[in-house]
Amino acid sequence: MKEKKTPLVRLAKRDGMEAWKVWCIRACSVVLALLLGALLIAVTGSNPLTAYGTILSGALGKKTAIRQTVKIAVPLLGCALAIAPCFKMRFWNIGAEGQITAGAIAASYFALFWAGRLPGPVLLPVMGLAGAIAGGIWALIPAFFKAKWNTNETLFTLMMNYIVIGLVRWLQGGPWEGRPGSQIIPQFDPSACLPRVLGVHCGWIIVLVLVVFMHVYMRYTKHGYEIAVIGDSVNTARYAGMNVGHIMMRTLFLSGAISGLVGYIIASGANNTLYDGVAGGVGFTSITVAWLSQLNAFAMVGISLLLAVLSKGAETLQTRMSIPASLSDIITGILLFCMLGCEFFINYRLIFRGKSHKEGVRS
Amino acid sequence: MMKKKLLAMLLALAMVLALAACGGSGNNGAGNAGGGSDQPSGGDAQQPADSGGDAGEERKSVKVGLICIGDENDQGYTYNFIRGKDAATEALAAKGIDVEWVTKWNIGEDSSCEDANIELAEEGCQLIINNSFGFEDFMLHVAKDYEDIEFISCTNQGSWNDGLDNTHNAFANIYEGRYLAGVVAGMKLQEMIDAGTITADQAVIGYVGAFSFAEVISGFTSYFLGARSVCPSVTMKVQFVGSWSDATEEANAASALADMGCVMISQHSDNTTPATTAQSKGAFHTGYNNDMIGVAPEASLIGTRIDWSVYFEYVIEAVANGQSFDQDWCHGMDEGAVVMTELNEAIAAPGTKEKLAEVEEQIRSGKLQVFDTSTFTIDGQELTTAMALDTDGDFTPDSEEAVFDGAFHESYFQSAPYFALQIDGIEWLNSAF
Repeated sequence: MKEKKTPLVRLAKRDGMEAWKVWCIRACSVVLALLLGALLIAVTGSNPLTAYGTILSGALGKKTAIRQTVKIAVPLLGCALAIAPCFKMRFWNIGAEGQITAGAIAASYFALFWAGRLPGPVLLPVMGLAGAIAGGIWALIPAFFKAKWNTNETLFTLMMNYIVIGLVRWLQGGPWEGRPGSQIIPQFDPSACLPRVLGVHCGWIIVLVLVVFMHVYMRYTKHGYEIAVIGDSVNTARYAGMNVGHIMMRTLFLSGAISGLVGYIIASGANNTLYDGVAGGVGFTSITVAWLSQLNAFAMVGISLLLAVLSKGAETLQTRMSIPASLSDIITGILLFCMLGCEFFINYRLIFRGKSHKEGVRS
Repeated sequence: MMKKKLLAMLLALAMVLALAACGGSGNNGAGNAGGGSDQPSGGDAQQPADSGGDAGEERKSVKVGLICIGDENDQGYTYNFIRGKDAATEALAAKGIDVEWVTKWNIGEDSSCEDANIELAEEGCQLIINNSFGFEDFMLHVAKDYEDIEFISCTNQGSWNDGLDNTHNAFANIYEGRYLAGVVAGMKLQEMIDAGTITADQAVIGYVGAFSFAEVISGFTSYFLGARSVCPSVTMKVQFVGSWSDATEEANAASALADMGCVMISQHSDNTTPATTAQSKGAFHTGYNNDMIGVAPEASLIGTRIDWSVYFEYVIEAVANGQSFDQDWCHGMDEGAVVMTELNEAIAAPGTKEKLAEVEEQIRSGKLQVFDTSTFTIDGQELTTAMALDTDGDFTPDSEEAVFDGAFHESYFQSAPYFALQIDGIEWLNSAF
């Protein structure tokens, strides 16, 4: 055997970086992302500064633009709040997409078939409740299997998405179809649509209430504490006498219920109808929102707004400068990549060959 | 130690910055030069320059928004709209009207369509055109807030009873083009029968349909009637794929139909794969939306498409002159809104061209009714009554008798097709969609 060579770069965990350095690194990552984005915009033949200006003014420049931006942020925020407790528990729920859809189906059922029979003020809460229960059940199924037989929750929750989206497709072309062959479910009766407050459907109020609820739930309740303990170590939780399976199912039901509520908000507030793309990737994008916010409920408000600004701004970018809207997806991707990537440099340090004897930390 | 690292990071950052700066300046030049050839921005980018050059004369300018479900890469549905847009722009420029287009690509049939309508309205568009059926509901959410802007939903039908003056619908009598394509197919089949290549009962057409939707049913029925007018023994099988655009499924359906003995394939779906599949299976094909001879020279006989430029020119001119225009517009070969793509004379039956011209003239003059009730039966009976419009919103037509003067009058009471009957001779292999 040859003598083992020290690799050129090694990693070592570091702890306790000063706060100002942490924020410096984060700021650098954003700057880096913006520069890379500018490079891309330049490649398409536009001026990056004008483009960034257009994104901002397109998303926040007018009252109508702000309303649209908020409308995009609402489901992202709501769903990130739903995912947070699961991730805190290290239960990889990537089935929010399906849970949103399940909630939307249940809410739509009442919107389509009970609109004439229930008065408006009763109908809307009933729809919301139905959505929450359906979403909760959809999340409870994989949690039950995980608790009982330790199935892989990542695959399980992911597969559940396809089932429920297929179900909507069937409803669209089958029993709930409007004009024959159109694959379109009719628009809801006005009494089944969320009323607008300040020009945006009132879903934004619901999610803001949820922000406070989730903050309190995670920080100050026994449930929140149990979730945190399980997240750190399942064995510790067991040793402390916690019923891990039970807590898992309870948490997932709550998570799914919030996702289902988001589904209700999207169907009733934004689309006024149900279709197979009702979740529209929110269930996945909100995972990034949750991680970027480090599962902090209040940070999620900011992050979801940031993503909404980028998304709405990109549309305006396409409208005004004919830059393909997909470019903004790339810019968003770069931004997320840099922001999430910089956490790596906050948690680890790189050790270059040659000075390893000084840095040989092994912990 | 820490300082060194910070220095290294700063250095790296500086390098990236320098790179960005180089890239930026280098590409600006290239970008300007290549601006015109840049695919999506092409037509839009040139427009302001044009209007600037002609500012001396008395020219009118209109800002028009176009919301598309796909982009021109589909080479089918949206591409056909873009062709119409470009042709209309050219024609209007000659009339002294400059059109500034703002086009939104790949918009979903959900609240993002509402957002796109709001955005275009806020950008100052005087006319907003929605190109897909599913856009109308979301367009209607917006139209009532912008009374001064005209909204158009192509292929849909809400405007005649939505209570708004600024909403419009448009479609074209594509069934006329389908009928003609059917005549071409029928002549080819008859030629094969006469030559002994197939027997009379082997003259089977396979049709790849998107959904069992009135627009599709009306299309394949007129196609079938066209074919049967010149080849009496023809029958047809229809396979629905459950998607407006799914290249793989369309190919699968065409392949299955060919395996079932269909010697002629046609389609109402967005891709060219039925044409290429027909060719590889040794069958013939007639297309929709686009000329498919290029991809299947040995199979594709002819195609038909809507020429949207006719309508675009009409409405944009009206808006430019401050005039009102039809709430529900539908024309066909009479105004050139439906056109045939080039006939593939190398493989078409002899005499097809002359026959086409003759039938086209009969349709144009109104002498020939495509849905002549003496030419088809339903469950063995002649059709005597069918309603055209749905007024109470339950999705079953309940008013306006469509059958009169010996024919079913398609697209007569509203532009969107409403012929949704299953006639004898056409077999639906699946109707789950």
